[in-house]
Amino acid sequence: MINRTRAVKDVLWITALAGFMAAVFRLWFGLGATTNLSDAVPWGLWKVLNMIGGVALSTSGFSVGFLVYVLRLKQFQPYLKPAILIAFLGYGCSCAALLFDIGLPHRFWHPIFMWNINSFLFEVFWCVMLYFTVTAIELAPVIFEKYRAERITRLLHRLAFVVVVVGISLSSLHHSSLGSLFLVTPQRLYPLWYTPWLPLLFIVSAIGGGLMVVVLAKIIWSYWYEPTSIFNMGAGQSLQLIRVIDGTPAGAFPGKPEGRDMPQIRALATIAAAILGFYFILKITDLFLHGGWGPLLAGTWESWLYIFELAITAIVPGTLLMLRRSRYSPGGISIAASSAALGLALNRLDVGIFGYFADSGRIYFPSLIEWALGFGVVAAAGLVFFFAAENLPIFGPNPPAARMAGLFRLSYGSLRQLWNTALTDGLHRVTLIAVFLVPLSFVLMYPPYFNGRISEPEVRSAIGVDAERTVLLIEGDRGGVSTIFPHVDHQKRLGDSASCVKCHHVSLPHDKSTSCSRCHRRMNVETAIFNHKYHLKAVAELKQFRGIQPENYTCVECHAKQSPKLVSGTKDCMECHKEDMFPAAKPMEVVNLRRALPFREAMHKLCIECHKSESVKRGRPHLGDCQTCHESLRAKPASSPLMAKGIDWLP
Amino acid sequence: MYGILIDVTRCTACEKCVVACTQRAGRDLQRAEKARATTSDGLSAERLSTVLRVGDGRFARKACMHCLQPSCVSACMVGGLTKTTSGAVIYDRDKCIGCRYCMLACPFHIPRYEWEKTVPFVVKCDMCYDRLEAKQPPACVEACPEGALIFGNREELLGKARKMIRNSPGRYLNHVWGEKEFGGTSVMYISDIDLAALGWSAVEAKAIPSLTEPLVHKTPFIGLGVAAGLIGLNWIIKRREELAANRESSDPARKEHHD
Repeated sequence: MINRTRAVKDVLWITALAGFMAAVFRLWFGLGATTNLSDAVPWGLWKVLNMIGGVALSTSGFSVGFLVYVLRLKQFQPYLKPAILIAFLGYGCSCAALLFDIGLPHRFWHPIFMWNINSFLFEVFWCVMLYFTVTAIELAPVIFEKYRAERITRLLHRLAFVVVVVGISLSSLHHSSLGSLFLVTPQRLYPLWYTPWLPLLFIVSAIGGGLMVVVLAKIIWSYWYEPTSIFNMGAGQSLQLIRVIDGTPAGAFPGKPEGRDMPQIRALATIAAAILGFYFILKITDLFLHGGWGPLLAGTWESWLYIFELAITAIVPGTLLMLRRSRYSPGGISIAASSAALGLALNRLDVGIFGYFADSGRIYFPSLIEWALGFGVVAAAGLVFFFAAENLPIFGPNPPAARMAGLFRLSYGSLRQLWNTALTDGLHRVTLIAVFLVPLSFVLMYPPYFNGRISEPEVRSAIGVDAERTVLLIEGDRGGVSTIFPHVDHQKRLGDSASCVKCHHVSLPHDKSTSCSRCHRRMNVETAIFNHKYHLKAVAELKQFRGIQPENYTCVECHAKQSPKLVSGTKDCMECHKEDMFPAAKPMEVVNLRRALPFREAMHKLCIECHKSESVKRGRPHLGDCQTCHESLRAKPASSPLMAKGIDWLP
Repeated sequence: MYGILIDVTRCTACEKCVVACTQRAGRDLQRAEKARATTSDGLSAERLSTVLRVGDGRFARKACMHCLQPSCVSACMVGGLTKTTSGAVIYDRDKCIGCRYCMLACPFHIPRYEWEKTVPFVVKCDMCYDRLEAKQPPACVEACPEGALIFGNREELLGKARKMIRNSPGRYLNHVWGEKEFGGTSVMYISDIDLAALGWSAVEAKAIPSLTEPLVHKTPFIGLGVAAGLIGLNWIIKRREELAANRESSDPARKEHHD
């Protein structure tokens, strides 16, 4: 017995210390380096499993308090203190994990003073904070009892009913609000789990699952410290591994009595299973009402997950507790309770993580640091649970500490004694574990070596083929036929920024051919596009006008005589600027002096004339062929009749 | 209230808007280019706006839609996001605690996070709020050489959009994205192809705060109701116990009969 306890505590210490190291790394290196969270998956393990799932599993204080104080079912009184302890520790470790999940932990106090009453998360924060205080108040008598502070103890006992009512109200609010958090994602959450009934489903499952957790905790506690209270043990028998169906109706086997606490455990578990049965009916109704049948029968992995979740949450516990054999067996009840607890946790994971895989398009798997901290805080809570249960009157008036090896007993007088006791006694053992665990954490979790990010998908830029847009994907007339164009290469070769205008002086996309005046508007106003004043001077110089103000004579060089200075009466830009419109040595045949070439034709002219003239210079005879740019045609050049004609078809 | 109308048929993906936005936000252009590859749509803590291919030869700018009833504003637990009178939805760094609920709440997946920093904040387009105060258009609108981004009063822009659709039959689909979806947005689109790739849902998509706020405002009353119910239930049960105890103690003769 002692060895088993110590082994469990060792595991808890290892996990808790690993969590501590993970917390240090998370605070030092930030969320990006330590978690697998990303813009596509902003909420992960800590928020969903630790916070939302952890809170759901800690509903025990709420439900047992309701049974004992409101319904006045006195037979469940012994379960009150353990339930409140579970609730206190559960909420404590959930909040601890949340503290590390938020980006700015030092600002955790903001919601106390900065309010947004429209936000469900704000409401969750306040209710959880208040409820955590309530559980502390409910737990306080236990601590004060030990230290015999009688007046405070009496006061707290008198306030107990009020505190419990406040606690239950707060609890029902925040459990449903945790479900309401996900009401904001109707388009993003998988339709099987998105429903306006999310708050209702969350509160009902939390109540049922929380009761099952109390049952499970009691069974595990008894397994360790008080087997006869639960398990069938005749005189002289030792406790064996739990057998699934070894239940015996009370009295059927004389000499093999039922454990003394079994009736209450059975009652609690049956109540819980009934609540979960009601939850099952709610879920099925919800599927009918909110169009979930289609996705359920779609055969996707989400539909199987949903069915599995519902099975372990409601069907397995319900069935086990309906069958007499398993109802009277501690093993049967344990399986029912574990199944329900796992189902509850899985439901929260489904709503918070798995249900978003389809929307985010990627699979989120937590990093090692996330697992370590997630389970580390739970392990720390477990250690505190053991400590409290062994040293405070939680499971009965006399804590069994006297029998067990304590956790924090310091008892060494010399170094030799320290070493001798290190392998057996509490604190020394922990120190030994820590000495090995800290370097191991660095080896396994140090973020700069193990950046556990899942690689993001390759992004195709809008028209750039690569991220830096050195190579572009050009579609001449936006008709779906494209070619690869090494933009930066050409830019460098043709003269950097001065070369821009050589190519970027063509028709606008979508236009068959753009009028010059589309861009070159308001010519009398000096702009970067057209400098009127400059033109006056340049034309005056060109025509060698003389006089005090030679520019005054230049008007009629471009504008029609004695008529308003409009586009219709102006000389075509192209008459003087033919060479500017085309980079190659050969001037092109301009058909319409007022309009630029259509996009595709312009692109072809731009590219092909230059390629033809350069092919000789660069010793690449095929530079001017269609297939050089149109890679898709290299396999089958004859598929396009235009291409087959070759470059001679160009106008 | 201002708005931006985006004409998808005019966008050539030159990304001058993205460059202007990055520069105005004081972010590094090189990093913004490289950051394009880190997310599936190009938006990240380094890139507040992005241009996406939405179809064959069609491109559209994607950034915060500045909804009229923003989901993020309703979701932020410390009230760090606000919808201003000028139409921009702005973010207050001093309030944020980094819970990232706004990232979950936005139907367009807009807010991004500075994951790599030890003191991280949420990043998203703010419609150049300070320029709006000075009655200037946002940087992206000013930078667009094709006239694909049109700035103005939202109601006027709606009218303009309808007119553009009417005057160029066949050029646009008869729909203004952002007029009614999610309760209406300040950034609207007209296009000749469907824009589901940008995150637009059906027209009937309700404003997301309308799904949560009516319920949130009821919570204090629900809590009080539960408390009242508990007290009532407890009173009934206590009363039954008392009555049962009185019956037994006042009638010992009956008790003997039971034996």
